[in-house]
Amino acid sequence: MIRVTDLKKVYGHGPAAVAALNGVTLAIETGEFVAVMGPSGSGKSTFLSILGCLERPSGGSYYFGGREVGALDEDELARVRNAEIGFVFQTFNLLPRLDVRQNVELPLIYAGVPRKERRERAVAMLTRVGLEHRLHHKPPALSGGEQQRVAVARALINDPAVILADEPTGNLDSRTSHEIMALFKELHAEGRTIVVVTHEADIARYAGRILYFCDGVFVREEAVTG
Amino acid sequence: MRFFDLWALALGNLAAHRLRAVLTTLGIAIGIAAVIAVVAIGQGGRAVLLAELEKLGTKRAFNISVDWVRGEAPTAGTFTLQDVAVIKELSPAVDKLAPVTSGMFIDIRRPHSRAEPLFCQVIGTTPDLTGVMNIPLAAGRFFSEADVAGHRRVVVLDGALAERLFPREEALGKQVFLQDVPATVIGITERQTGQLLGTMGMQKLVFAPITFTQDLLNTRVIHELNGAAVTEGAVEQAIADCLTILEKRNPGAGVNYTGMSMAESLAILGRATGVMTLIIAAVAAIALLVGGVGVMNIMLVAVTERTREVGLLMAIGARRQDVLKQFLAEAVALCLLGGAFGVLLGAGGAWVIAYFADWPPLISLWTVLLAFGFASLVGLVFGLYPASRAASFSPAEALRHH
Repeated sequence: MIRVTDLKKVYGHGPAAVAALNGVTLAIETGEFVAVMGPSGSGKSTFLSILGCLERPSGGSYYFGGREVGALDEDELARVRNAEIGFVFQTFNLLPRLDVRQNVELPLIYAGVPRKERRERAVAMLTRVGLEHRLHHKPPALSGGEQQRVAVARALINDPAVILADEPTGNLDSRTSHEIMALFKELHAEGRTIVVVTHEADIARYAGRILYFCDGVFVREEAVTG
Repeated sequence: MRFFDLWALALGNLAAHRLRAVLTTLGIAIGIAAVIAVVAIGQGGRAVLLAELEKLGTKRAFNISVDWVRGEAPTAGTFTLQDVAVIKELSPAVDKLAPVTSGMFIDIRRPHSRAEPLFCQVIGTTPDLTGVMNIPLAAGRFFSEADVAGHRRVVVLDGALAERLFPREEALGKQVFLQDVPATVIGITERQTGQLLGTMGMQKLVFAPITFTQDLLNTRVIHELNGAAVTEGAVEQAIADCLTILEKRNPGAGVNYTGMSMAESLAILGRATGVMTLIIAAVAAIALLVGGVGVMNIMLVAVTERTREVGLLMAIGARRQDVLKQFLAEAVALCLLGGAFGVLLGAGGAWVIAYFADWPPLISLWTVLLAFGFASLVGLVFGLYPASRAASFSPAEALRHH
């Protein structure tokens, strides 16, 4: 599903240049549940945003579903982000002036799906994450756990093959964190590929495999058993 | 991204900052109101001029007088009835030529009436005047050459004046007293004759044979000559002929004979509204510029405030052109909102001007469409920079923005 070779990312130019990724080579298979761990500044978030086509690598190659991402133009990248990748963020990133259902509908707006179908799909997805009673609430009126469920529903609305989550439990208490991770576990059971960046070891243990990053380099991996 | 969704999102974003949106649109509103006023005044002024022209009759008309601007005034020898006869005889370019002796504030009343007398302006002339300007008659006839030659005491009354003098009866054929001199009403004009002649309609007009008028006013002074050339193209020649003959015949008159075509007089009036149009157009341009800069400013603020949002929209599949369109739509929607206020303001203003200037208020569908067209254009021009800035964000960096 995902194959990176000698992936590099440099921010800035000349003497002020900082290398965030320094030659990462690894592969993530379809249907895998992977956690990425490492101290802050290890390049794990940069790695995730390159996987998500939010930025382009400075060097190396990245194949997503068999396609070389470096060869895609901006509009094709947008289409990949829209249809094949679902994002979940630490800060949820819901639009506060739209209600819950409208937030979940957003990706479908950019996919050009008609209104009626959008609504039906959004309601179905919110029911799926257990928020059918919150359709017309604005995000600030919801608890952190509920907001993250809305964000997960939004990530799932276009039925993407891959879910990328950047510290999805970073702003949640312990109980809610485990509820969200249980939700990821279910999505994984449905056959989706999931990559979660975290610095919490107990969160990482929901994954089948943990990748450790340090100083922009993929240092080791560990298979989770049980 | 569908058209309807684009505008729904744009309006939703504006509604989130209502006060900000309304304040920002104020400049645009003033600019658009001025645009509407420019068009209304331009069209209204032109309509008034055309109406006057129609009322005055012919484009062949011209006027010969002395140089009023230098303080000259005609005396008994300046223009004579013989001058008029000679000019008509000698100049093939002159078709009609009517001398005018006029008297203002002449009291007119019914015989044996206890009512207060009314004031009128008496235009003493010859039948030629009907060939120079339109004097539509509601009843009776205009006076003839024979009436002029015979110093006959006959008058043609303005319709409104006739109604005030004889509210409940037919004025035609009745006697009136002009400064206690009896005269017979032989004709009645339609209400409101040309405003350019006389004192802008303040006094009602009475037409009388010039001979009778000179007897009445005890004067031999002819104030001006109103003529018509044989063709529109002969007006200049007709004026030149008149001036040459007058100067030849009256070398000691001590005045500068001055001629002006009707077209020139109208052009002067037209220039007055033209200046007004220019001033308001400048106000419109400045207001739209200032308003546009205001819109640009607020859009830059919005783009900065919503940097993370732009990053998110890109992460969930918005293309750069979608982001561009969204912010452009917001800027255009702001300007259209201002345009709507401006149309209301401008329509009100145009109505007020029309009311006081006695013009038809000219707000057409086209004017409104023009105004909204202008507003959209301002939105596009001044929204482009902020929108393209938002569209150029890197999604990853925008998402990291705090």
